[in-house]
Amino acid sequence: MHSELQAQLAFHLTGVWSAGRPEASDALELRPALLAAYRNLSRLRYDFPLVLARNAPHGGAVQSLSGLMDRAIEDAAPRDGEGERIRGHVLRMEQAIRALVAAGGGGSLATLWDTAAGRLESSGEDLLADSLSRARAALKADGEVLDCGKAMPARLFEHAWRTVQESKARRFREDIDRLILRLSDILAAGLALSEEGRSPERLRAEVGAAHREAFDFEAMSRLLAGSLPKGTLPESRRRRIASLVSVLESQRFFPAPGERAGGVEPYAFVFESCAAALRAFRERRPAMIALAQAVAVARLEVENEYVESKHDAFFEEFGENVLGPKGVTLFPDYLVRIGAADMQAAGHAGLMEALGAGLPLKVLAQTDDILDESPVRDGQLAFGARSRQLAAMAIALSEVYVLQSSASNLFQLRERILRGLEYPGPALFSVFSGAGGACGELAPYLVAAAAMESRAFPAFSYDPSAGEDWASRFSLENNPRADLDWPVHAIAYEDDEHQRISEELAFTLVDFVGCDRRYAKHFATIPRAMWNERMIAVPEYLVRETKGPPEKVPCLPLVGRDGTLHRAIVGEKLIREARRCREAWRSLQELAGIHNSHAERLLARERKAWEEQRTAHAAAALGPQPAAEAPAPAAAPGVPAQAEPEEERPRDEPYIETPRCTSCNECTQINDKMFVYDSNKQASIGDPDAGTYRQLVEAAESCQVSIIHPGRPRNPAEPGLDELIKRAEPFL
Amino acid sequence: MTITAPECLLRLYEEHPDLEDYQGGAPRWCAGCGDNAILAAVQRLCRDEALRPEKTAFISGIGCSSRFPHYMKTYGFHGIHGRALPVAEGVRMARPDLHVFVSTGDGDCCSIGAGHWIHAVRYNMNMTVFLHDNHVYGLTKKQASPTSPRGLRTNTTPRGAYLEALNPLTVTLGVQNASFVAQAVDWIPEILYSIVSAAFHHKGFSFVRILQRCPKFLPDLFDPWLHDPQKVLVLTHDNGLQLSPGLAKVHKNRREHDPADLDRAREIASGADPIPVGILYRNPGVPCYEDLRRSGKLRTGAFVRAGLEAELDKFTIWPQGHA
Ligand SMILES: Cc1ncc(C[n+]2csc(CCOP(=O)(O)OP(=O)(O)O)c2C)c(N)n1
Ligand code: SF4
Ligand code: SF4
Repeated sequence: MHSELQAQLAFHLTGVWSAGRPEASDALELRPALLAAYRNLSRLRYDFPLVLARNAPHGGAVQSLSGLMDRAIEDAAPRDGEGERIRGHVLRMEQAIRALVAAGGGGSLATLWDTAAGRLESSGEDLLADSLSRARAALKADGEVLDCGKAMPARLFEHAWRTVQESKARRFREDIDRLILRLSDILAAGLALSEEGRSPERLRAEVGAAHREAFDFEAMSRLLAGSLPKGTLPESRRRRIASLVSVLESQRFFPAPGERAGGVEPYAFVFESCAAALRAFRERRPAMIALAQAVAVARLEVENEYVESKHDAFFEEFGENVLGPKGVTLFPDYLVRIGAADMQAAGHAGLMEALGAGLPLKVLAQTDDILDESPVRDGQLAFGARSRQLAAMAIALSEVYVLQSSASNLFQLRERILRGLEYPGPALFSVFSGAGGACGELAPYLVAAAAMESRAFPAFSYDPSAGEDWASRFSLENNPRADLDWPVHAIAYEDDEHQRISEELAFTLVDFVGCDRRYAKHFATIPRAMWNERMIAVPEYLVRETKGPPEKVPCLPLVGRDGTLHRAIVGEKLIREARRCREAWRSLQELAGIHNSHAERLLARERKAWEEQRTAHAAAALGPQPAAEAPAPAAAPGVPAQAEPEEERPRDEPYIETPRCTSCNECTQINDKMFVYDSNKQASIGDPDAGTYRQLVEAAESCQVSIIHPGRPRNPAEPGLDELIKRAEPFL
Repeated sequence: MTITAPECLLRLYEEHPDLEDYQGGAPRWCAGCGDNAILAAVQRLCRDEALRPEKTAFISGIGCSSRFPHYMKTYGFHGIHGRALPVAEGVRMARPDLHVFVSTGDGDCCSIGAGHWIHAVRYNMNMTVFLHDNHVYGLTKKQASPTSPRGLRTNTTPRGAYLEALNPLTVTLGVQNASFVAQAVDWIPEILYSIVSAAFHHKGFSFVRILQRCPKFLPDLFDPWLHDPQKVLVLTHDNGLQLSPGLAKVHKNRREHDPADLDRAREIASGADPIPVGILYRNPGVPCYEDLRRSGKLRTGAFVRAGLEAELDKFTIWPQGHA
């Protein structure tokens, strides 16, 4: 026994069996116990396959088959016995479609439904056809059905990208169409007012055929031409507007739906390399500037705000500025789909440069295998380092939207994907498909899910538009039990005495690697007879401090195809890698504010201070009470604003209380030199000598708001002064 | 608009219009007519807001006051008696980019146009409406109007008007969806301007009743109020009217009134002496009909033609055999 323990320890530390034990045979198809339940995925209901819904409202572009079926059941099946029957049939249909897709069948939901219906109905089961036709009528969406496989992420992203671009295009087109219409209206109005527009031929064309004979168009034309209005359309403006219309109509960025705008081929925006996308972007830049300029000028034109003397020079010299970074975001984004594994160092650098420059790229970098050999072959395993680096570097650029996720989780993250595609700036989506590697018959969905569970490829997003700080921008939200080092699952099995045992088991990196045949040599299955208490589960082992030679050996529970439980000792290299993986995960947690060390320190300090304060208060409460503070004297009751002393005006001079003038024209009609309006059309004394004292007094009398003060007579020789002075008395 | 050409660069060239830029023909109103004061206040508003003449439309019915559009150098429509509001609604619907103003008299609005008035309040379309209330038909030379005070002698009521006057403020405040109701008097220009401006800035149907002197036919009617500031109750509030220190010295009869308070507004509106002046009610939350009904569809020539054809087809008598 002792030597067996030695051998186990030795294997753990060195990866070699001293006694030359045969490796676990593949025939057993051992699989980490936590994955044992998922041998046949097509019998489960889960997020996949997806339906890429056509013409769906925003947010509904990506649906899960199960979700769609559930909604169809809800709408088509009443809550009674009949409903139960329909429900059962629809669930069978779902399973049939799942099986078709798993067997490689593709196409739209409608065609798959038909195929599956044909098969199910051939059984001749009662009312099956009725159930299915009712459910089918209640189906809310149709579109390509897509299973979780190697091609899925690229298809999914292209579909989501298209949805986003379509709504962008719709908005842009609406603007452009409105501008074209308004510009055309200006041209048409200009023509109608022009000499040509008033020619007999035009006039004849504008009157319907029925009454043509009743008019003398020559005479009409002569009459109208004689009264040509001044404000006709100047030739330079007419030419400018005509050229705007032509630029707007021939743009290739947002083709009119269903037609090729003006016969020109619309640009393509999907690329398989960054370099190609960048080349296209640079080539199209002049056209973008021209279009943005045309839109800007057109906006000014339709508002009648284009001032040639000023704007001509502006557009000539600074016109490029019209296409600021914000302007660029109004144009379509470039979707670039690349395989992260194929990217060389230069490609990497190019990608980062393009993202850093804020170009409108939406990059999907797909990794199929994160357990491939480390690029630095120094015996380190360094799983997923390359693809993880990609996302980390992009986050460091700080203005890039970044999302990392396993393919299995993309459906859950669909909102975030759409947000990233809508983000006004570059975005990087790093996705692990689960479709590479050497995991045997394990479905890519499971491999991808296991990568995420094991923290080998965690899901996170970084959205610079969500706020100023990391707390608003960064999220780990979709990882299972993001608060823990490893997610924990329940596992139940039967022991030798046929007793049901259930326990909680953490899913670690070792479980994930345990699925991949390339790493089989890091595991040694131990016959049941050799099991002993020094063998402990990996998670337990991982939390132990290891000083000096280990006393325990880490082992992983495995389950064979026949359902029997096995245990394998895990090599030290893998354990080391699992620890590294945990460290990386913990840094992510800190970024997301989970167990954030700074926050925890601060909290501890504050708590201490608070407790000290509380103790001090408690002590003080026992001492003499401080006298209640006397209430502050109430503010003195509003002292009425000191009435300013009436401004002393020389009563000899005539004056008007202008701000009170009602612009009534009474005084100005008496003498419009003596009484003049200011820029607000309110009266004041203009030239007091421009009229007589009599006029001043009459104005004062006729001013209904009594604001004209005539002063003293200026010309002592004016006749009838005595009487006038008396009349002026009330107005002085 | 989604295109964001750097606005600041493009709109560098602001214009600073003068009052003259909005002055159309010389007013033919009688000297001393309160309509002159309203015209001056509105022209000041246009200048201060730098409204583009081609983006502004003045609509009216028939009456002395309805000559208003002629005196504005903007778009205008001197309409038919009582129908200023439906015309203005049509303009708003077809050209939501225009600033729409309506001038209507007490005969025009409260008599022949009363039906339109009630529904226009309820439709709450974004426009600024001035009720030039001189308590009489001016243009047709002194007949009683619905707002003529009881006992007023006119050509149609030589023994004095028999009925109590209709109160346009309480009527408007009683209609569903009322969103802005204010009262001004033509003889206090500062307050008139402030209210005209507040009405313009309110999005919705802004109803401003302006007590307007008709010196030609009712020369003394408003004299008691004209000569005694105490007979004008000025409604002030942080969200309403505020007086300049100079005016505050003259108008000591003031009351704080929150324009959000509909019940209080109705109570104040029902008083006629002293005359309440200020913003009685304002509710920016009432939706505008044109917003509820905007289709977003571009009205291209083809679209309009197709709509017209479809409409006319309903009345067309087709030869036999036509589908
Ligand atoms: C359908 C119709 N009925 C009657 C008239 C005659 N009419 C012209 S103006 C007017 C009343 C004007 O009074 P008001 O609206 O108070 O305007 P004011 O002249 O006082 O400013 C009337 C009855 C008309 N023009 N059209
Ligand atoms: S009469 Fe009086 S109110 Fe009329 S314009 Fe002259 S100063 Fe102004
Ligand atoms: S009749 Fe009366 S309302 Fe008409 S213009 Fe003369 S004063 Fe003004």
